Amino acid sequence: MAKSVRRLSQAQAAWLLLAPFLFTYGLFLVYPFFRGIWISLHDWNLLAVAFNPDAKEFVGLRNYQRVMWGRGIEWSAIQRPVFQALGVLGVGLAVYLRRTNRASRTNAIALAVGAVLLFVLPGFHAGEGGRWFDRRFWPTVGNTLVFVGLTVPGVAGTALVLAAALNRETRAMSILRTLFFLSQVLSVTVVTLIWQIMFSPRQGLIANVIELFGGSPIVWLTDERFAMAAIVITTIWWSLGIAMILFLAGLQDISKDIYEAAALDNARGVKAFWYVTLPNLKRTITLVVVLQIILHFQVFGQSHLMTNGGPNDTTQVLVRYIYQTAFRDSDLGRASAMAVFLFVIMGSFSVIQFLIGREES
Amino acid sequence: MNRSYYWLVLALSVPAFLWLVPTIWMVSLSFQPNEVLARTTSTTALGLVPVPFTADNYAALFAFGQTPLWFLNSIIVAVGMTLGVLAVSTTAGYALAWLDFPGKPAITLICLVGLMVPEQAVFIPLYTMFADFGWHNSYHALILPRMAVPIGVFLMMQFFKAIPKDIEEAARIDGVGWLQIFWFVMLPLARPAMMTLAILTFLYAWNDYLWPLVSAQQKEYFTITLGLASIQSNFAQSEGLGRVMASGVIASLPVVILFLIFQRYVVQAMTVGGTKG
Repeated sequence: MAKSVRRLSQAQAAWLLLAPFLFTYGLFLVYPFFRGIWISLHDWNLLAVAFNPDAKEFVGLRNYQRVMWGRGIEWSAIQRPVFQALGVLGVGLAVYLRRTNRASRTNAIALAVGAVLLFVLPGFHAGEGGRWFDRRFWPTVGNTLVFVGLTVPGVAGTALVLAAALNRETRAMSILRTLFFLSQVLSVTVVTLIWQIMFSPRQGLIANVIELFGGSPIVWLTDERFAMAAIVITTIWWSLGIAMILFLAGLQDISKDIYEAAALDNARGVKAFWYVTLPNLKRTITLVVVLQIILHFQVFGQSHLMTNGGPNDTTQVLVRYIYQTAFRDSDLGRASAMAVFLFVIMGSFSVIQFLIGREES
Repeated sequence: MNRSYYWLVLALSVPAFLWLVPTIWMVSLSFQPNEVLARTTSTTALGLVPVPFTADNYAALFAFGQTPLWFLNSIIVAVGMTLGVLAVSTTAGYALAWLDFPGKPAITLICLVGLMVPEQAVFIPLYTMFADFGWHNSYHALILPRMAVPIGVFLMMQFFKAIPKDIEEAARIDGVGWLQIFWFVMLPLARPAMMTLAILTFLYAWNDYLWPLVSAQQKEYFTITLGLASIQSNFAQSEGLGRVMASGVIASLPVVILFLIFQRYVVQAMTVGGTKG
């Protein structure tokens, strides 16, 4: 060690080592985040402002109003009876689970909040002579929710069953796990390339198989009834891996003794899965579901590349709408308002995830 | 192992094979002549076996088209991003885990909050910022935003926290400075965690789509992921199915090889990436 070098104090060393990260963090994450909120409060045209920086106008919350609200909007408790009834049931379920101590406080609160939203939000509608300022926004949010609602149970369910079946330390099982995980490392453009052609009615493998059995091919990606399903299938194929790995990690923590005890009670196979595996895996299941919701709420590439949001907007999702509003319509103000909306939703799920993580430790 | 085990393996092999079919199909199509594919994609065994066989699609990829350039761009961006993230994350992670300084809890909290901000919530302001700087269509525009994501810092912080205190105390008795402890003692110990973070970052860089889509408008700065998207929309007419599939295979090769060699790290990396960022 060179004696001439002045030794840094602990605090000096800390700030020196933190500086590079704090600099990039502040410049490329913290600042853009607040700038996004700032943009959302302006009438801000991408091209006009690029040409003349003063061509933006402060409009307060008008962008939010133009995105989410309308003229003559009314609320009724029976606008969408099925969803709203489910919401009421959800609240009841949350109270019941908490009272009987079958759900932790966090889970019960999360369920209750979700259920209240399910009761309140679908109740809004344009009254007589009224209309939404942006007819596409809420249907887009709805499509995103449908996508999440189909994909997450699909991924979580398949991954859970596979993980339970593959949870053995043998060579064959490890190879099988590798095969199921492989598609997870592919990029969204490779995945959509493969599945676009898989679903093609003329060249697709699925059409070829259907024709082999004498059926007529489905026009997956341009048929309103099948487009969303096609995207969901693609996504399940793509993102099964992480969920499976998380479940496998959770399964490792269940002691072998419990299974042996259960086997004495004649609980093996499916029965053991139902009565031993599932109850002991509750936390992991919640974690995986929340993670998958966060992950799939950001869906963009599948919709952008496979269906262009169509047919007839049936697969238009929130991030793609933000992207188009910003970069095709050049309306950065409105797009930023939607991005803030997205952040609020994803942020609440991150908080739930954080609370679950804290409960765990 | 009993008989039911072998039945289970056999029963699971069927879905595992089906799961692999789309990938096999892509590889198989990439080795078939475009003229044949224009007529039918199910020549042999539903097209899952590349007969008739040709390697022309790959030869054509390297002879013309921009795939080699895009591939090179992806390598530059992914390696650059990986080195950048490793540099800022190991230093900051060490400082937060080991060093005491005024304001440490606040700084830790501020960094933690950043985990909640998704890329999609900041890509518009980032776009306008980089446009103001005149930075779009460059490698640093593709690399820098990811260096601000705190996931790596937390990964390294948690790793450094798990190192027993006496290692550092032994170094202190020898009168070594903080930076030397970091460089000569901590970094060598941190190799496994750095490996995990490196793979997480490389995979992210290689596969990222949204930010390159808005930032790189000139084809010379496309990554392979973005370039593949640009040719797949009109795959049948312009390029020929076999050639587009060959691009897909080339685009997947690095991540698949990485996965097969470093499977343990990849699984760990994606688990960390999935659970925290």
